[in-house]
Amino acid sequence: MTRYRLLQIVLVVLVLAYPLVVAGSPVWARLGALVLLAAIGASAWNIVGGYAGQVSVGHSVFFGIGAYSAVVTYTHLGLPPIAGAPIGMALSVLVAAVIGVPTLKLSGHYFSMATIAVAELVRVLSSTSEFLGGAQGLGGPPVPRGVLDLSFISATPYYYIFLAVLAGLLWLTHMIERGRMGFYLRAIKDSERAARSLGVSAGRYKLYAYMLSAAFTALAGSLYLTMFGFVDPESGFGILISVKMVVMAALGGAGQLFGPLVGALILVPLEELSNSYLGGQGAGLTFVVYGAIIVIIARFLPSGLLSLLDRRRPTAPRASKTVDGHAD
Amino acid sequence: MSMTLVQVVVSGLLLGAVYALFSSGLTLIWGMMNVVNFAHGDFVMLGMYTAVMIWTALGGGPWASVPAAAMLIATLGIASYFLLVRHIMRGPMLAQILGTFGLALFLRYGALWTFGANFKTLPDDLVGHSFILAGIRFEGARVLAGVVGLVVTLLLHLLLTRTAIGSRMLAVSEDATAAQLMGIRPQRMQALAWGMAGAATGIAGALIATFFYTSPTVGETLAIVAFVTVSFGGFGSVLGALVAGLVIGVVESLSAYLIGPVYKDVIVYILFVLVLWFRPQGLMGKA
Amino acid sequence: MIKAMRRTVAAFAALALLGLGGTAGAQQVVKIGAVYPLSGNSASTGNYAKMAFEMGADIINNGNAELAKVMPLAKGGGLPGLKGAKIQMVIADNQGTPAAGQNQTLRLITEEKVAAVICCYQSGITLTASAVAERYGIPFLNAESVAANLTERGFKWFFRTTPVAADFAKAYSTFLNEQKAAGRKVDSIAIVHENTEYGNSVSSVLADAFGKAGLPVTQKIAYSANSTDVQPQVLQLKEKNPDVVIFISYTSDAILYAKTMKELNWKPAILIADDGGFNDPAFVKAMGSVTEGLISRSVFAAGKPGSVAAILDELYKKKTGGDGLDDVSARVLQSFFVMAEAINNAGSADPAKIRDALRAVEMKPEQLVAGYDGVKFDDKGQNVQASTLITQMRNGNYVSVWPKSRATHELILPYKGW
Repeated sequence: MTRYRLLQIVLVVLVLAYPLVVAGSPVWARLGALVLLAAIGASAWNIVGGYAGQVSVGHSVFFGIGAYSAVVTYTHLGLPPIAGAPIGMALSVLVAAVIGVPTLKLSGHYFSMATIAVAELVRVLSSTSEFLGGAQGLGGPPVPRGVLDLSFISATPYYYIFLAVLAGLLWLTHMIERGRMGFYLRAIKDSERAARSLGVSAGRYKLYAYMLSAAFTALAGSLYLTMFGFVDPESGFGILISVKMVVMAALGGAGQLFGPLVGALILVPLEELSNSYLGGQGAGLTFVVYGAIIVIIARFLPSGLLSLLDRRRPTAPRASKTVDGHAD
Repeated sequence: MSMTLVQVVVSGLLLGAVYALFSSGLTLIWGMMNVVNFAHGDFVMLGMYTAVMIWTALGGGPWASVPAAAMLIATLGIASYFLLVRHIMRGPMLAQILGTFGLALFLRYGALWTFGANFKTLPDDLVGHSFILAGIRFEGARVLAGVVGLVVTLLLHLLLTRTAIGSRMLAVSEDATAAQLMGIRPQRMQALAWGMAGAATGIAGALIATFFYTSPTVGETLAIVAFVTVSFGGFGSVLGALVAGLVIGVVESLSAYLIGPVYKDVIVYILFVLVLWFRPQGLMGKA
Repeated sequence: MIKAMRRTVAAFAALALLGLGGTAGAQQVVKIGAVYPLSGNSASTGNYAKMAFEMGADIINNGNAELAKVMPLAKGGGLPGLKGAKIQMVIADNQGTPAAGQNQTLRLITEEKVAAVICCYQSGITLTASAVAERYGIPFLNAESVAANLTERGFKWFFRTTPVAADFAKAYSTFLNEQKAAGRKVDSIAIVHENTEYGNSVSSVLADAFGKAGLPVTQKIAYSANSTDVQPQVLQLKEKNPDVVIFISYTSDAILYAKTMKELNWKPAILIADDGGFNDPAFVKAMGSVTEGLISRSVFAAGKPGSVAAILDELYKKKTGGDGLDDVSARVLQSFFVMAEAINNAGSADPAKIRDALRAVEMKPEQLVAGYDGVKFDDKGQNVQASTLITQMRNGNYVSVWPKSRATHELILPYKGW
């Protein structure tokens, strides 16, 4: 226990001190911020995709709403983009309710496919919207007007902002996990029929999880916009954004608190470094390596990297859960 | 006016038959194993490159490239099953997305590495010129692809529903353990399904290449169509994929012509969501 | 023992030499960063751009006797203004996403310490990547993004050599009005454009300009890029049968349009393809034979033998294994030579000095590979002498037909097709 505690303290200190450790290299500092940003998105997805087992492959809808809310707040109201974050979160919750009520009835892959279709629908519509800048997209403040624009040269401020948001999100997820809702969600994931027969209002709790997940995905989108300062239909609503959230959570371990973070810790540096060192040759080698590593992990650790730890702990919560893909 | 409309519907039907053809492999695997293959579009892409390679290296047309692509992609399907899919099926459903998405990237960019980023096309008279029948223009390559699409999907459907091997495969998909007790080897049946799906996909790729462009990322364009077609029709239902493919083809063509090409996807997606709203198991899926 | 000592001494000597060589080498190399789409949907374009950069650097560093007659920097031996410093291109992949574009630009500036950046092809990526260069105070040259707002942001380090959509629109309307004056029918114009940033921005600028020039746009068809089928669009055209059709498309759709128009046997009297996919070497090779007489715009036309453009075209063919320069690769190569000229004039790899030199750059048309009227940047960083040529497909190659002063061939109308 004390050794475990010590390890925890060392990890926390490392995470907090990371930007100082790599202070000399803007690229490494930025990499830290990118990992955290990806982890926020994937952890938000994890609430509905991991815990409730509803595999949405259309979360880019909420990411895009967050990003566009932020940029529209700047372009149409002249306010700092981050002021659009609460708007984006509220709007996402609303949209989640509208999408969720009909689609969450669907089982397994049908739900996944319906979410893909809705996301593609929104992407196409957004590119025809004058208000959202059409296909050209919209840019944030080209030159920061003040500190509230959250536009920094150094990645360090982003790192700490993202870290705070991620910590908050993980804490919230942890509370849910331990509380009644977490219990219900696990029951629904294991067998929706059984959960219903026990009197759990499955539809309601799935919808709650979906809405909460949507809100934080939108926040990730708003944060993305403050850092990159631009969004267009592809970088906001593109299918790759949804898929990456799923892949990160699945790689680390979906339905586990730190799964998405672990996934982001592996995938983001892998993507950035392979692009930096192999991308310039222009032969697509980046993605060959990236793809191969994902395949190998899926092949040997289908339940995610964190299942490595579970093997040592015999009472792992879902180590024996292997066939939920075939439950429906 | 009305003649043009007929032309639009006809081209939509031909397009739909092709959609059905390249979706049938996906629906087979989906129905058999409840596995979603995110690399499906890239299997089609490799089938297309097979046709391009056979033309550039040997000067062979579809009669050579269709069997070659069928064999090649069938082999790829069986290899993917034994090396990857068999193992990820033991994990949660998410592992399938993870594994097949990784495979998709690997194949797509492996193709970029091997064949380069340039767009390739086959000569447009490879299959024969376009001809006019009852005032409607038909293009040889599309007619061939459409007809083969119909034939292959119908054959697959008959194979699954009317033959002993088909019922064995369905038994495995219903309950692998029970099938095993009855003396069926589930892995062999599943590998067979991947091989058949691969063959159908290879045929689709080789035929599409005769009237479409081929590039490493072309699979992305086709994959979403295939996903929608398959879930529209109902997972596992080859006949459903055929009907869905035809419906989607005609709806796309008509809405592109009557409303505007930008909105054709919008109409298809709305239709798709509506179908799921009223029939959560797709047009012909089992409830 | 002695052997070991000798070996140690030799090792130290080698180390010392390496060290010296290293520092001396560092002074003799100027790094230029380039961030292009080497993967993703525009990978084909990005890889042609990459070859253009590599060829450009090779010419400056190793020289080319024929080119040296018309281009002083091509004598070889690096940049004379920096005591023969060599140029090293550091090329990175933006993967077609704004995020990767920005990340890679940051890496090139902070890790590779490039003196300047040439970037990014897609307008959206140019927008995000240039913001990084602006913050770090590194000259940022854009060769091909046409979005008007890029030069309106008050940036101090941003330069753009390419003409923008308004320039194309002016060229087309002048060209079409000349055809009208020559007695051709230009009573109905259809604009068919893909629905991402390129098609949307160019089509709206074109429609505006045509309206002002008294040219009637009777049909506007927007479609989603990477279509699986374009028959409905072509049937819409066939039904209305406009005098002029203008396509704004990427390669994938360009190939489908050319194929489908032949399948459905329909052609307008004047068919214009706004650059994009219709200029992709893959399109020209595959579809050139069925699009005889297709009109396009390009900044590139090989011109007469012995000119800068003609020599570079031949060299590029050798580099790519057969594909000559086209609109994009010529614009990329031009941006490279503008940057080389500026660095040479600056006499230093110091970013601020390079920026001042870029502001002062003045190049004449005969020095250029692109068909601009020259290169000279205004206060916003836009090349005010950027212009475009109008070309026509002849026997599987584009030749310049307009303006008269730069035309190598007579314009032939109506469109012949297949």
